[in-house]
Amino acid sequence: EELRYRSASGAPLALRRLQHSASCRELAVRAPRLRLRSLSTATSAAWLAAYGLFVLSENSMVLSAAIFITLIGLIIYLHFVKIDQESLLVIGSLGIQVTSSYASGKESTTFIEMSQVKDVVINEAIHMQKVIYYLCILLQDPGNPQGVSEVVPLFQSSKPRLDCLIEVYKSCQEILEQRKTAPQSS
Amino acid sequence: AMVENSPAPLPERAIYGFALFLGSWFSFILYLIWAYIPESWLFSLGLTYWPQKYWAVALPTYLLVTIGIGYILLFGINMMSTAPLNSTDTVTDNYAKKQQQKTFQEEAIPALRDIPISEVNRMFFLPEK
Repeated sequence: EELRYRSASGAPLALRRLQHSASCRELAVRAPRLRLRSLSTATSAAWLAAYGLFVLSENSMVLSAAIFITLIGLIIYLHFVKIDQESLLVIGSLGIQVTSSYASGKESTTFIEMSQVKDVVINEAIHMQKVIYYLCILLQDPGNPQGVSEVVPLFQSSKPRLDCLIEVYKSCQEILEQRKTAPQSS
Repeated sequence: AMVENSPAPLPERAIYGFALFLGSWFSFILYLIWAYIPESWLFSLGLTYWPQKYWAVALPTYLLVTIGIGYILLFGINMMSTAPLNSTDTVTDNYAKKQQQKTFQEEAIPALRDIPISEVNRMFFLPEK
């Protein structure tokens, strides 16, 4: 099922929870897709500005450059910037997989072994003149059982608000708790 | 008796204040004379050793531009000093890592300590069973 939430900046988000098995859960946060309306307004504004420059400078290279830049810029934006969906796949006793899906279809994944994972927590930090809540994975420090070696922030581009983060946190904690009750054999 | 620091008026403070008042007025009149009176008039009086009049405009301009840049620089330094979201400084620090566990005493207020973030999260976000 899908639940509706908001991002830190107010954009609508959708959270989808899938239970694949007793110890495997997938949580996906979907951001709204690029709208045709905003794409058209941006392209028209850029091309009108380029036409204005052409009228002033009488140089037709301005028009070709504007078309070229708009096309290349759109491709770069869709492939490297616009993230449509960020998902978290928690498999008890195996690890956690973090996937980011871009608008062009590209997916980039990171896998963290369960032995390296200390905990999944909601942390608060200062970010760009605001204090935001964000979910992060705390990685175990091999020398010190109480220590944290690294912090891996999650959902960096969609930045859901606290109510969505609490749902994700509760789902993750249910899987992580099974680590304590079922001791590992390795 | 111990010397107390109070902002009350004192005779010494009145004298310092008046000296500063006279000094600042004198400096200001001197600055105006240097900036506005033509060089020929000053030379005819015998006063020849002045800095170039260029500096009468340049120094205030330098000062104002420095103050303006200072605002932006301070803002930037603050942003640079803020720990990024992926640093362990958002979760712990040296004092928390080195703290010793104090023994729990019945009916006494528990000692001040840094509570690990996992424990804080469980208390806030997981419902009591």
